[in-house]
Amino acid sequence: MNSRSSKKNKFLTFAYLAPTAIILLVFMIIPIIYTLYLSFFDWNLIAPTKDFVGLENYISIFTDPVNQKVLLNTVFYIVLLLVLNFLIPYFISIVVKFFIGKMQSSYKIIFFIPSLFSLVVGAMLFSWIMNPVSGPIAFFMRQLGVSLPNWTNSGAMAIVVLCLMTNWKVFGYNFVLLLTGLGSVPQNIIDATKMDSIPKWRMIWDIVLPLNKSIAFYVLILTIVQGLQYVFTPISVITQGGPYYGSSNVLYHTYLNAFVLYKTGNASALAVITFLIFLVLLYLEIKFVEGRADRYE
Amino acid sequence: MNKVKGSSWHILLIIICLVLLLPVVFMVSNSFKTLQDSYHSMLQIIPLHPTFSNYSTLGKQVDLLRLIWNTFFMATLVTLGKIVTGLLAAYAFKYFTFKGKKWLYFIFVSTIFVPFTVVMIPNYLVISKANLLNSALGVALPQLCDATGIMLFLKAMDKIPSSLIEAVHIDGIPSYKILKDIVVPILRPSIISIGAIFFINSWNEYVWPTLILKDKSSFTLPLALQNYISSEGGTNFPLAMALSTIMIIVPLLIYLIFQRYILNSISSSGLK
Amino acid sequence: MSNEVALELKEVTKKYKKTNVISKMDLQIKNGEFLVLLGPSGCGKSTTLRMIAGLEKPSSGQILIDGQDAEKISSMERNLAMVFQDYALYPNMTVYQNLEYALKVHKVKKEERQQRLAKILETLNLTEYQDRLPGELSGGQKQRVALGRGMAKQSKIFLLDEPLSNIDVQLREKARDEIQTLHEENQQTIVYVTHDQLEAMALGDRIAIINDGKIQMIDTPDNIYNHPANLFVAQFVGTPQINILEVDVQTTQLVYAEYPVLTNSARLAKLSVPSGQLYLGIRPEHVVVKCKQESASELPAQVEAVIDYGRYQQLTLKLEEKQVLKAIITNNNFKIGDIVYASLAEDKILLFDHKGKNNLES
Repeated sequence: MNSRSSKKNKFLTFAYLAPTAIILLVFMIIPIIYTLYLSFFDWNLIAPTKDFVGLENYISIFTDPVNQKVLLNTVFYIVLLLVLNFLIPYFISIVVKFFIGKMQSSYKIIFFIPSLFSLVVGAMLFSWIMNPVSGPIAFFMRQLGVSLPNWTNSGAMAIVVLCLMTNWKVFGYNFVLLLTGLGSVPQNIIDATKMDSIPKWRMIWDIVLPLNKSIAFYVLILTIVQGLQYVFTPISVITQGGPYYGSSNVLYHTYLNAFVLYKTGNASALAVITFLIFLVLLYLEIKFVEGRADRYE
Repeated sequence: MNKVKGSSWHILLIIICLVLLLPVVFMVSNSFKTLQDSYHSMLQIIPLHPTFSNYSTLGKQVDLLRLIWNTFFMATLVTLGKIVTGLLAAYAFKYFTFKGKKWLYFIFVSTIFVPFTVVMIPNYLVISKANLLNSALGVALPQLCDATGIMLFLKAMDKIPSSLIEAVHIDGIPSYKILKDIVVPILRPSIISIGAIFFINSWNEYVWPTLILKDKSSFTLPLALQNYISSEGGTNFPLAMALSTIMIIVPLLIYLIFQRYILNSISSSGLK
Repeated sequence: MSNEVALELKEVTKKYKKTNVISKMDLQIKNGEFLVLLGPSGCGKSTTLRMIAGLEKPSSGQILIDGQDAEKISSMERNLAMVFQDYALYPNMTVYQNLEYALKVHKVKKEERQQRLAKILETLNLTEYQDRLPGELSGGQKQRVALGRGMAKQSKIFLLDEPLSNIDVQLREKARDEIQTLHEENQQTIVYVTHDQLEAMALGDRIAIINDGKIQMIDTPDNIYNHPANLFVAQFVGTPQINILEVDVQTTQLVYAEYPVLTNSARLAKLSVPSGQLYLGIRPEHVVVKCKQESASELPAQVEAVIDYGRYQQLTLKLEEKQVLKAIITNNNFKIGDIVYASLAEDKILLFDHKGKNNLES
């Protein structure tokens, strides 16, 4: 290729990548750095001056009881999200793939419908269904002689209900992803296990799950990363983190600090911590889902 | 023996379908009930005294057309932005060779792992400094590109045989023409489905718009709905459900029309 | 008696969306027999094998394994092993684990497992690769692992679905010999699917030629080649393809154009063919090419192409009216454009009726 056309190519490469690159730089890269910068200051988002406080914001995250509670809640959220949004959809996708013959695509189509809804709608609907006084579930339980506890009064119960709201939305999406992964296990390998008279669950455990582990791990990581952000909406709409920070997670607490309490420094430090956690997850994803990021070597 | 087993699995799956769909059915049915009926006969799927009153009350309380337009406009901006930037970037990654390509791609894809809280404060400051609070552009600007979109477009481009692009290239056709005349037409189904996913997501977006849209006249549908929900339990559910029903019409229509493409695109996002 | 039959298909039919892939197939395979299913792609040979394997159910008919209805016994009792075309090795397991897996699941004792596998790895020259993953093996090695996995089960019946089609030509002959040696040593019943006629001829005790979901002929390689049951078999087997001429029956002779290609023959008399047209088949190596005409039955022709294979030459001869005759010769005496005379070796001539296309003498 002569130098003129290679020059032209360079220009085109630049032109094609520029829109994405500029937006990412302005609204992603620089903000991350700026947030990191803010995390060393005491500021209220409005005042013209910021006070440098060193690592104080970070120290308070690990010493302040409210922050500790929020971090602990976040761990609880992650565990619940993994069970609800990853393990259960995975189990169901295995059932649909290997234990039923027909209707696979019908289930796919139906399961996906809730992901069309805004989480605000989901939160509203579930707060009606789970309403401890007037909701259908409470109504049913009254018929059985038990009363639905007022879950908004308990942090742990509130977390469960909030996770169920996101589960409703995310279930079908994750189901579709995992089902696709299972579908990419070659049929002849499954036939080979049939010839070897391997029992079905054994086949799934020994062959299908190991072969599907990279997509499963991808969905697992996504479940945590997106799940924690998804629950933000129901928290904000239904509990606002209450009772007494009992249902707050690290993302909602960041928002609360930034835009309600105007403790920008604290919020930034929390955001940086969240970012670091997600970076660890990103590292794990690259390590286990090999080949995803380096498709352009 | 196997048949019996299969059908018991079907029972489980049908229960899941019901759990997932019943809330939707209740939403629609309650939106046509009076406040009393929604309380006393909440499980009645066909309303005892069907009424449009919730919708007309809603029409009086908020400017529905304005809400729908705001949401539509913002979602369209975001969708178009993501499609254009995504297609361009994917094309560059797919067909150009340049230094640092691997790193740049890695950075692009990694942005999926950036929590919104870590960019929320600076972005809010930038948008407010730029005087874009309460505007659709202010909501759309930071999200005019999308790493998932680039990945999906790249996967779609994998299906175009590279020999085809090489052949056109040898004919001396400039690359913007290749993109416009060959890549885009071939990718039309993918573009439509990826665009549909973008649009639905943006239509439903809540967190970022709440920070930017403070003025009621700039509200989108999810923000308006939030106003009808009160944490103290005083929510007027039939009214909220009427608004939710209005809100789901557009995403549902898009899904019904492009269902197969949408599911295919989502499937492909998980594969290597 | 029935113990001699390892496997039997009774009126087996397989339908996909109303089209018959296999129609009313009958087949008996004897204990210890090496049977090859041969046919063009899409003829239903793989479907037949998959039905025997139990991977697909016949739409109607019965498959008997050792006299028992295959559908009524479990996959364990069927006692089959199968080698797949693209091997279907478990990608997440090493060579050793691949061979061991089924035995482990079925609780074969560890010492026994080790003993069996050591022998198989040795036989197949895989000992030094036993800790590798399938992804790290060459095509030929993968094929041997697939074979080994089937052997490890020590099943009575061994099914092979085009096991050699994915390996290099150079290795194929060696692998073929290996399979043959294994069969001679173990005397397993083998059903082997291929589209390669040389492979089929080399390996099979008997060959079943399948086309359009039907067995066209099932017999030894010799009979398949020399006494094909019908025109399809004659044309499918043998390269270059058999020559087919349309001839007229005229009282005591067969006439092509005006040349009597078969006269006063006792064969013809025995056949009592009605007058009219027949198809005459003659293999290229049975066409004798001469420079001078010696009898009225020899067909004048012009040499259109000569392909020199070294060991022999293939001539394309042009007869009248676009009819072409291929001949195999070894004296390399002809060049393009030569006018020659072709005579057909009388005892090698095959005759097929014009309507049913069946061999008149079989």
